Amino acid sequence: MPQSDSEDFESADEGHSNATRKERKKRNSSSNYSDNLDSDFEQRRPQPKESNSTEKVATTDGWDDFDVDESETAKETHLKFGDDKPIMSSSQDTGWNDFGDWGESDTVKSEEIKQNTTLELSNNAQIQNPSVTTKETEKQIKSDGWGWGWGVDSLLSTATAGISTITSQVSQGITTVLETGIGAPNPEELARITKEKAKITENEVSEDKQEMTDSTFQFGSLLSGVTKFVENTGTKVISGGLDTLEVIGKKTMEVLQDGDPGLVKKRAMLGLETEKPILSQILREAKDRADEEDKVKEAKREAKEVHYESLFDDFEGLVHLEALEMLSRQVSMRIEERLRSSDPEKRLDIKETLQQVAELCEMPEDDEDDDYEESGDLSKEDVFHEHLQRATRDIGLKLQFQPLIKQYTEILTWLESNDLNEKAIYKRAVSGLAHATALCVELYHKTGEMLLVKPRRSTADEADALTQLTLVLTKHVSELASIFTEELSKKQAEDKDLVNNYITNVFLEAGNSSKYIQNAFQLALPIIQIGAV
Amino acid sequence: MVDPIFDYQFRLILIGDSTVGKSSLLKYFTDGKFAELSDPTVGVDFFARIIEVQDGTRIKLQLWDTAGQERFRSITKSYYRNSVGALLVYDVCNRSSFEHIPLWMMEAKRHIEPHRPVFALVGCKVDLVGTDSKNGARREVSCEEARMFAEENGLHHVETSAKTGVNVEQAFILVAQEVYNRIQTGEYKVEDGWDGIKSGFNRPNGMDFNLLEAETVQSTCC
Repeated sequence: MPQSDSEDFESADEGHSNATRKERKKRNSSSNYSDNLDSDFEQRRPQPKESNSTEKVATTDGWDDFDVDESETAKETHLKFGDDKPIMSSSQDTGWNDFGDWGESDTVKSEEIKQNTTLELSNNAQIQNPSVTTKETEKQIKSDGWGWGWGVDSLLSTATAGISTITSQVSQGITTVLETGIGAPNPEELARITKEKAKITENEVSEDKQEMTDSTFQFGSLLSGVTKFVENTGTKVISGGLDTLEVIGKKTMEVLQDGDPGLVKKRAMLGLETEKPILSQILREAKDRADEEDKVKEAKREAKEVHYESLFDDFEGLVHLEALEMLSRQVSMRIEERLRSSDPEKRLDIKETLQQVAELCEMPEDDEDDDYEESGDLSKEDVFHEHLQRATRDIGLKLQFQPLIKQYTEILTWLESNDLNEKAIYKRAVSGLAHATALCVELYHKTGEMLLVKPRRSTADEADALTQLTLVLTKHVSELASIFTEELSKKQAEDKDLVNNYITNVFLEAGNSSKYIQNAFQLALPIIQIGAV
Repeated sequence: MVDPIFDYQFRLILIGDSTVGKSSLLKYFTDGKFAELSDPTVGVDFFARIIEVQDGTRIKLQLWDTAGQERFRSITKSYYRNSVGALLVYDVCNRSSFEHIPLWMMEAKRHIEPHRPVFALVGCKVDLVGTDSKNGARREVSCEEARMFAEENGLHHVETSAKTGVNVEQAFILVAQEVYNRIQTGEYKVEDGWDGIKSGFNRPNGMDFNLLEAETVQSTCC
């Protein structure tokens, strides 16, 4: 009778209730997860081997009791093992669905891989270790079918992958192990194993191949023996569920973990930790996550109502901006054409003029003329209106400021009404800014159109007027922002953070508004320029 | 404010001589109101409304109301490009506005190229017909004549009044439905860098649930 470690698992299994089995299975499915990601079915074989070697490490560590059972038969185990495979793969899905987002994306995968890699690095030593120690324990491993399988497989996969230095080291270790196993396994057993394996791997082959081409990945899966070991333990536990084995497994994990603190995480993921706290923790986390998602949903709904860009679009700001862009582009093309068709010295002239106009339209660094002196008993709207008119006095066009004034009045009136809560103020602030900005953009668009059909251009005046206008308008939006934020900070809200958040956002959107306004002004520049050339 | 939920946005442009009633038509269509007096349009103005085509798909019509005045002609040219539909508007009581329609159509074709828009021929002010002496209004373009022209050129034709509201809705739905049909047949599609047709969920708040619904609707029809 061939002997194997799995056999121990099997025998130890006896006398365990179905319930435990079930639970094990569940666990097992978690371990499958990592396997699934690595997706080397071949590697499954290796595990047992791996487990062997690790166990062997353990053996040399004084786990003598472990070897006691080694003389029992493995036949049944193998049979069972074969049966278990399909079960495992089916339980894989359900098991993972419980964990929701684990299977979600590649990131998980890459994380997993990374983890494996770190494992490998540290495990490398450990894997080497067995190869050294196997010599000593050779006698104990005799007739180990698992060893066979692993060796063959590893050789196979290393060959496929193209071996890096480190892997070759590892495979050296493998070979050593292989040697120790040679001659030992029962041919019958071996044949069955190989057959089974072939069946299983067949399905996965194409996938495996893909992954094989990535040598790093291969390296990873080669060395991810620890994961495999865990999985394998799970498999065996399924067929048995032996306490002894669990102890062994845990101990092995502990031993491994000593050399790799990062393994804690993996163990936690695999559910191999002392179960109960983990389960509840997972549930708690799931609940937290759900709560978080709800909050996000709610926030999204909320955000939609106060979405600056949408509001700006709804107030036709976007389409005016787009139309202004079209106009600006067309005029720029005309200027280009004029440059191209001119003779060289004329071209230089034109360029100079264009440059001069551009300079005229540069915004003053700081508003030196802070002539926002309180104009007697004039209302805020009237002051604003007056500023607009003063700024555009010399432009030679009749501009429509009414919409802007009207909107301003509406806001001021609205704010005077009592009983406004913070949220209402905030919403009104964002929509008020979006609306004002849309009106400003419309003003630039209209001004641009009128300048283009204006019979007599006066470039310097126009440039100055639009620069002044831009100043007045940007001041206006920041004025709006401060009116709203003052109102917000007047509120003695329970939730200070929320209000502060609102205030920050209002200033943020005001900045946004300024940017839109200045952008619109820049788009108008070629329209001013073309009047001069 | 416009309900943000829609599956597509079509951009339609209204062109035609000045004072034929483009802005009034749009005002009635989007506002349900008729303004007795209105200022001539400067350059281009915008209107928007969401309608439903036959299968319930929601379409936001973004309407570009161009100035009809001669002096704005060079400007309005730059606005044609991104339109998927064009309403050729004339005044049934103004013969010359109808006679200019072929010119408007050529202009539109030229500037919308390489795209081929849906055209509709829209007669305005039918409410004035028969009020005779008072405004001196008399029908100068017969319905048959206009229909014949429309048939010859493969256009839809409709006579409307922005005062009574007759056929205003139909004029726009006609065009929207035709554009939508051409999407169904694959003749039109959403293209990058062309704003004639846009998907509704391209809006800034595209991640919202309603719009995700819209997305599924959209995927079934493409």
